Amino acid sequence: MSNDSPGFLQKLPSALPGLALIILTMVVIRNWIEPWMTNAVILGQKGWFVKVLHLNYILLGIICGMLYRNVVFGGKMPDLFNDGFKLSRLMIKTGIILLGSLYTVQAIVKLGSMAIFLIGGFVIMTLLMVLWLGKVFKLDRSMTGVLANALSICGVSAAVATSPAVEAKASHVAYAIATILGFGILTMFTSPFIGHALGLNDLQYGAWVGTGILNSGQVLAACLAFNPNVAPGTAVSVGEIWNIMRVISIPFAVFAVTVWYWAGKELDESAAQKKSLGTLLIEKFPVFVIGFMGMVLLTSLGAFGDVGIQGGPPASDTIKMLRLWMTWIFGFGLVGLGGYIDFKELAKAGGTPLKIGLIVGVTKYVLALVVVLLIKDHLVAI
Amino acid sequence: MAREQKSGSETLGSTGEKSKMTLFKDDRAEDVGAIILSVLVIAVVILLTMK
Repeated sequence: MSNDSPGFLQKLPSALPGLALIILTMVVIRNWIEPWMTNAVILGQKGWFVKVLHLNYILLGIICGMLYRNVVFGGKMPDLFNDGFKLSRLMIKTGIILLGSLYTVQAIVKLGSMAIFLIGGFVIMTLLMVLWLGKVFKLDRSMTGVLANALSICGVSAAVATSPAVEAKASHVAYAIATILGFGILTMFTSPFIGHALGLNDLQYGAWVGTGILNSGQVLAACLAFNPNVAPGTAVSVGEIWNIMRVISIPFAVFAVTVWYWAGKELDESAAQKKSLGTLLIEKFPVFVIGFMGMVLLTSLGAFGDVGIQGGPPASDTIKMLRLWMTWIFGFGLVGLGGYIDFKELAKAGGTPLKIGLIVGVTKYVLALVVVLLIKDHLVAI
Repeated sequence: MAREQKSGSETLGSTGEKSKMTLFKDDRAEDVGAIILSVLVIAVVILLTMK
């Protein structure tokens, strides 16, 4: 049906104007705006923007993207730039794959059991809470299913991945995504303040936002806003490994919600939509995670030289350049992500889905912080 | 009703080509694209830092 639509390479030329705008934005931010903010004296304090508002190139990039869409272009990205902004998730995923160069297999194994325990616990708790609240508030069953996975795993991807399995309408997905994005944007901007105010270190902060924030891009942004450095042990290295664990659980959570959805319905002609866990794993597994694991393996085998783990030899030139490029790739991706934050679409959130979303989102966010503070002495450093 | 939705490739529940959040056909194709782009980035970085 869609075989007539042009492929990626044919569409690429039309993406160049948008891509140029994204790159130009980040170049201006990093070369002029950020250095100016670091030196500007406001209210008698040098670097007030950075020290008090915790603004850095990541938050500025997202804000610029949001301004482009909602202010400069009046709520809709013009066709000229639209295709370029569609490359933002490609850049974020590429950056996450390259982020594999921060870890070794030994570090992943050390961290893995704790991350699986925490992430697994929170995913299951959130799922059960949404399903229960959906029943209490008598929310439509399809809407509840979509919201359950959107709030428990990874926001947008999980909501869309769940929708066909629970017969969700486009409006259900729109409500769920508007709810989680609205909440996520709030946490993305407030988390760095809370983290600094509580005196959290990178390990504690990364574990908290990696568990408590709903969307992959927002975890990334919140981590880099707290500490823009990309190196082993920084907030982004901790938060993203937590996030990867959660992303991997998408097929399992889709399966669980599908089973729940169909268990509450009498068997009818639509039973053909039920899928086995194996089928869901093949269809929904996020393949870019394999790229990330490949990168971890290559790094562990020393393919790029020394990684620069604390106490060890300094990072090789290749690793240093890879990390520098990652910061740019993430920067480009997050300007694009900001361009997808549409205030009009966020306004679609409302009613019972918003109520449930806020109850569960805030519970998860606060509980994740409490748990991280409780186990802070047992968190595994990498 | 919602069976034709492609996983992860749209914004806010829209299913049309124009509102897709990716230039790729779907999420899976975008993942593969990200892996290919990563390989290219690594190759360029290795070339640039070769002594």
